[in-house]
Amino acid sequence: MGMVEYVIETENLVKVYRDRSGGVRALDGVSVKVPKGVLFGLFGPNGSGKTTLISILVGLQLPTSGSARVLGYDCVRESIEIRKKVGLLPENYGFYEYMTAKENLEYLGRLDGLPTQELKRRIPEVLELVGLKEWVDAKVKGFSRGMTQRLALAQALLKDPELLLLDEPTLGLDPQGTTMFKKLMEQLVKLGKTVLISTHLLHEIGHVCTHAALMRSGKVIALGSLEELAKAYREAKGYSYELAVAGGAEELLRELKGVEGVTYVGLENDVIKVRASRDIGGELAELAAKYRIKTLVPLAPSWDELYQFYQGGGWE
Amino acid sequence: MMEKALIVARKEIAENLRSVRYWAIIGLFVLLYVASTYAIGFAIRGFGGLALGGRARTVLQLSNQVVNALTYIAPLLGIALGFGAIAAEREKGTIRLVLARPIYRDDLINGKLIAAAVLIVLAIALSTALAVPLAVALQNVNMTAEDFARLALLVLPATLLALAYYALALFASVNAGRSSHALIVSLVLWIFFTFILPIIAAFVAFQILGPPPAIPFNATRPFGQGQLPRQFQEYYSKYNQIVSTIQLISPTARFSSLASALFALRSQLDVYEELTAALARRWVDVAVLSTYIAVFLIASYIVFLRRQETR
Repeated sequence: MGMVEYVIETENLVKVYRDRSGGVRALDGVSVKVPKGVLFGLFGPNGSGKTTLISILVGLQLPTSGSARVLGYDCVRESIEIRKKVGLLPENYGFYEYMTAKENLEYLGRLDGLPTQELKRRIPEVLELVGLKEWVDAKVKGFSRGMTQRLALAQALLKDPELLLLDEPTLGLDPQGTTMFKKLMEQLVKLGKTVLISTHLLHEIGHVCTHAALMRSGKVIALGSLEELAKAYREAKGYSYELAVAGGAEELLRELKGVEGVTYVGLENDVIKVRASRDIGGELAELAAKYRIKTLVPLAPSWDELYQFYQGGGWE
Repeated sequence: MMEKALIVARKEIAENLRSVRYWAIIGLFVLLYVASTYAIGFAIRGFGGLALGGRARTVLQLSNQVVNALTYIAPLLGIALGFGAIAAEREKGTIRLVLARPIYRDDLINGKLIAAAVLIVLAIALSTALAVPLAVALQNVNMTAEDFARLALLVLPATLLALAYYALALFASVNAGRSSHALIVSLVLWIFFTFILPIIAAFVAFQILGPPPAIPFNATRPFGQGQLPRQFQEYYSKYNQIVSTIQLISPTARFSSLASALFALRSQLDVYEELTAALARRWVDVAVLSTYIAVFLIASYIVFLRRQETR
């Protein structure tokens, strides 16, 4: 197995905002590693430090202590190199309202260092990707929140970055827009890009992420792939499976109830749901061969469930 | 190296040239110019049709009005371009998209500065080019090419004045979270230098020197037709010295002083002083205006480079 290549590595990152009362620790010893070529979620409620972390990664803010590297570059000393290769969709952004979508992208693209010919090719491409091709010459002033969010995504994609940092990217998007966004992100990952999505809307886009860092009050409370994080959850809460059968499952149901560690078995619309206190994947595979089982799926907990499990409660 | 700054400058210039605000400011300038020069019509023609001086003196009075109009126009133009330079970008959130690019922060300020200089020169030159011939025609003043050249040269000190206020407004903008705050601070400074400092200067001079000496009434030599008593001249010489010293810190006063050098007349003659000689005596004015620009630009760079865009 080859070495895992990380595009983002932070080590004990601390950010303190000084104020009259002494200071607020927005980041409190954050150590995160984001593997290359994954859809990585930065999950946590508002105020958990997600935006601060992203701002530090691109050099918009400086850490109080600790270190951070993006694509091998130091976030403090080499942030200009990082910004050449990273596409950012910040949380609180705005466009030049009296300029058209195209003019905004031209200006930002030139600042990215893209030559005119490249811009002529890329602007229609990215506008088509986000579904704004017909609005190329419309002034941004007349854009809805959702359209502005699509344009913000377009500007992040403009330089065809190796790494995308998206802060609350689905905020303001309608369901159609959210679906478009998810498909687009999956496509980008297939092309070898790394996408980091910061969001508090786990139920909306969390499930597209294969890896995540769960944050709370400036700290990372869990970090890893869905499978890695689900392991501890399953050990504590049990394992769930779904078996799709083609009728006549009475015998199978009886046998399932007899498997050691099984705590629940239920049948609904030719789907048997099984919960167990231990991993019974091996036994189920044997039964699947014996009976006419169409599919056997070990269920993974949702990011929502994982978050609540790791932080021991709700958002707060 | 300046490539990114020029990209910013081009966008700023294009955005302003397309904005109603910029052209409204130029329109306002032309109106102010024409109104103020027209108001002097009576003075130029003299009381009851009696001319107050020769041709150059007539142009001098016209230029005084142009200079007077510029003391209001140029600072307001500088402030109009400067107060939102960074604060408005911060307010709208555009700064986060811009700074997410591979651009150095000083490139952003440099770009805005280049654009401001171009827009200031354009606005002052255009409004002067429109208003002065109109005012000349209205007043029926006989102007030579040299008169026009000297009036045209006013663009230079006016640009220095506008840039001094631009630098002040930019500094306020870099520090402010909202452009309205930067605007208020800039306007307060303008009001202080333009209206309050002259009053303070006069008050201080009056406190130091006491009331002016009484002039004995002389029915055979009414006021304006003879020399003022020496005691009175000395009083006003000291008075002006104190007022000038206090107003040394005022960009507006430095501009007035510098601009008047362009129209300085030879003693007792109706011809201009040589330009280089007249300007050489006003090097302090150029130095003060340049210092304002340099100090507040450097301060803006330092603050902006150190400031973190948290929201």
